[in-house]
Amino acid sequence: MLKRVLVLAASVLPLMGSPASLSSATDPVPAVVAPSPLRISPAFYKQSIIDIFGPSIDVEGRFEPEEREEGLMAVGARKVSVTDAGLELYDDIARGIAAQVVDEKRRTALIPCKPQSATAADDACARTFVTQTGRLVFRRPLTEQEIATKVKLAGEAATTLKDFYAGLGAILGDMLIAPDFLFRHRAIEPDPAKPGEYRLDGYSKAAQLAAFLWNSAPDDMLLTAAATGELHTADGLRRQVDRMASSPALESGVRSFFADMLGFADFETLAKDPMFFPAYTIKAKGQTQEQTLRTIVDHLIIRQGDYRDLFTTPRTFLTRSLAALYNVPLVELADNGQPDRWIPFTYPEDDPRAGILSQASFVALHSPSGRSSPTLRGKALRENILCQRVPPPPGDVQFNIVQDTSNPLYKTARQRLTAHSTSPACAGCHKITDPIGLSLENFDSSGAWRINENGAEIDTNAELNGVKFNGAAGLAKVIRNDAALTGCVTRRVYAFGVGAQPPRNDEWKAIEKKFADSKYNFPGLMRQVALSSMFFALPSTQETAK
Amino acid sequence: MVVRKRVNRSVAPLAAAVALFLAANPAKAETQGYVISWFATATYNLDFKGNCPEDRNGGQIAYRLRTLKQLGYADDVAKAIVQDEEHPLAKEANLKAETRAVVNGKPASIYNYPEAVPDPNLELSSGKYAYGFDLDGKTNPNDFEDPDTGLKVDNQLWRAVGCTESFTATPPDKPYYEDLTWNLMVDSAPGWSLRISGEDLSKDGPVKIVLDRITQHLDRNAAGGILHNMTYVIDPSPRSHNEFNGEIKDGVLWVKKGGNLYLEGEMPYHHEIALENTHMRITRQENQEIAGYWSGYLNWKNWVYMYTARPVNGEDTIGIYYALKKSADADPDPKTGQNRMISATWRMEAVPAYLADISGKIVATPASASQPLQKLADSSGE
Repeated sequence: MLKRVLVLAASVLPLMGSPASLSSATDPVPAVVAPSPLRISPAFYKQSIIDIFGPSIDVEGRFEPEEREEGLMAVGARKVSVTDAGLELYDDIARGIAAQVVDEKRRTALIPCKPQSATAADDACARTFVTQTGRLVFRRPLTEQEIATKVKLAGEAATTLKDFYAGLGAILGDMLIAPDFLFRHRAIEPDPAKPGEYRLDGYSKAAQLAAFLWNSAPDDMLLTAAATGELHTADGLRRQVDRMASSPALESGVRSFFADMLGFADFETLAKDPMFFPAYTIKAKGQTQEQTLRTIVDHLIIRQGDYRDLFTTPRTFLTRSLAALYNVPLVELADNGQPDRWIPFTYPEDDPRAGILSQASFVALHSPSGRSSPTLRGKALRENILCQRVPPPPGDVQFNIVQDTSNPLYKTARQRLTAHSTSPACAGCHKITDPIGLSLENFDSSGAWRINENGAEIDTNAELNGVKFNGAAGLAKVIRNDAALTGCVTRRVYAFGVGAQPPRNDEWKAIEKKFADSKYNFPGLMRQVALSSMFFALPSTQETAK
Repeated sequence: MVVRKRVNRSVAPLAAAVALFLAANPAKAETQGYVISWFATATYNLDFKGNCPEDRNGGQIAYRLRTLKQLGYADDVAKAIVQDEEHPLAKEANLKAETRAVVNGKPASIYNYPEAVPDPNLELSSGKYAYGFDLDGKTNPNDFEDPDTGLKVDNQLWRAVGCTESFTATPPDKPYYEDLTWNLMVDSAPGWSLRISGEDLSKDGPVKIVLDRITQHLDRNAAGGILHNMTYVIDPSPRSHNEFNGEIKDGVLWVKKGGNLYLEGEMPYHHEIALENTHMRITRQENQEIAGYWSGYLNWKNWVYMYTARPVNGEDTIGIYYALKKSADADPDPKTGQNRMISATWRMEAVPAYLADISGKIVATPASASQPLQKLADSSGE
């Protein structure tokens, strides 16, 4: 099996890094190139499988690591490939999915036809499966040659194994490790409305829309719209975008965007010392991300709230485990032994723990395992929330004072950082990060509330861009009103959808204005971005060369 | 805040033994909530040689060897069987051992008919110290001395089991098999709650202690202990509802002559906790947890039943049965004169918790729930 996988990898990987184009050799050389293919994210992979085969399919296994660029994995996706080891991981996952799809309890629902015999090849039924399922998996119709090849392979496997469904499982497994599935290609074609110019083809547009708004593969209606050319017309595009924006699947897109923007992939390697932070259980760790995503979905989609109020809203959702971490009561009247349930929770007025920055998904994610870090929190806030760059520390920096939380001379993080940043090499950057991060010092490394550190009272007075404030509640209000906040999320939304930064043109300024005019309605922003001409714009060869 | 550290195991006078029950966050008319995070027979065995000079009981291996020899197995065969569970004679030997009671001339289960087996005559504890209280108000030769308070103690359960290997422990170490079985059940069996109410728990004065069963099992923390500050719902059944009047004195919470206590439990550890003439002594620990001792008279046969019912106990069950029977010190049967109750002490530990009644109303909060957290009592849900 491994040998077969590696042979496959060797045959397809060289194609992945080059600009994809469906242009034939006789077409004129385009003045633009197709944008780089984007490797699909683990979240996209899982959601696609759910949408194609249903939620009963378990997607089990580790994925190849992603790479963050310009603040988003979605941007880094254009530069990542699949390594040999990564292909093995994908292959394991794919075989597991394929086995579930064709197993006895699911095949009736998931295989669109019944073979003449379950123990022999059946080309007609295999063709039906390949044609219908392949269209959803590859996000485009398969060519006749692709169909014929896969039907032949399915038949050979079925004959060898005396099992029709094993044959289907084999080709489905192959499809799920094919570059057409693992990478979202963006193919270009001549634009008939603008002779001499090129555009993304309909299926690439459909795939980009679905990835952006639903974090998934296009559904049948979207693929049909791609086939009919509907997505190339303004009205047709609007119809589809409005349909998608009003679909419950929008929640998946919003979740995916914020999980990326807030850096939740880093939870995979996050650990806390259980002796210091016993309330930070495995269960709580898994739930902290979900708490924030539920808060976001509730505020932005259900309540259609102002994006800025995400940072001050007292509304959230908790489980009993998370409530214990935060030391708040949460009553669950279900029977003993029931799994943790999400329960709406509202903090009292003026409680310092309002807003998503006070949640463990932020304060715990940006803290080392044994202590809090105003520096990391401040850096994350600048970079992830305000789109501001913080330079990395010099290579020879000494962290001993900061890391020694038992030094009786420096009981609090403020005292340790003050001592540390007396070095001129450190002082510059710490001025950027620490004043903000110190306002969150009432949260320990696990996200639990505290008033003292090592017996000393914690001082949470802080400052951002000359505005002085106190504590997490003060920070939330200052961040909410910071002009950089909305500009940042607007640019990140575009970059998430396109895989590149937005141009600074009039159309972009109009999008920013509409966002402000809508009182920062987030689904509205996604809709505007999806409908903009920039969303499907092609980079010129000159821009690409740069 | 002064807290209770591990106590010097020599005699500790009352005044120096314990610490303030609560000194932080003084609050008026408050109710603090806890769930019992560990519960077991109170042990104190720092000086095993002093407690058990003959040291003749041994543990599971010694007990099995004795039994097999009594059944007629040769020395070397008995050793081979004990050392090798797959020994060809092991199955037969175990069956013989467990059915060596003789009833109507036929072999019968020793667990069902313990008195149909001769008394192995285990060594009883003859040491000076045991945790507990003066339950009968009398001085007699069987009294122990409490290592924390220096007061005399009625604890005949300790006399009965103090020389057996399962109970060779001293807090914070836990008796192995009771610890094992507690941990087997704690992740699934509903727990017990404890509420302490008073006008000002930071000061000495009268308090009310309420014990109940809760509807949920306890949740563990990342280190394997019991999670602090979790919210639990109190079982509304009156069956396990207990109220006691107590007093905080010199920082220690005391309940004296508290009447009867009953908490329904789960097999196979404690199917019930039932005490008469309940006494309690509880102190607060450095980490906001509380720990202490509950004492009173319990039905010794019920204790043996619980002991036997555990999946493992590692001891001579019949020996334990007879040791308790001989040591029982209260409630004589009017016909036989055999005492049916035995003075006993449990050790309890509890962690802070939010407690709600069945309507969802929060009725107790952890001591650590300081401002602004206290305002949250009415803010859950929507």
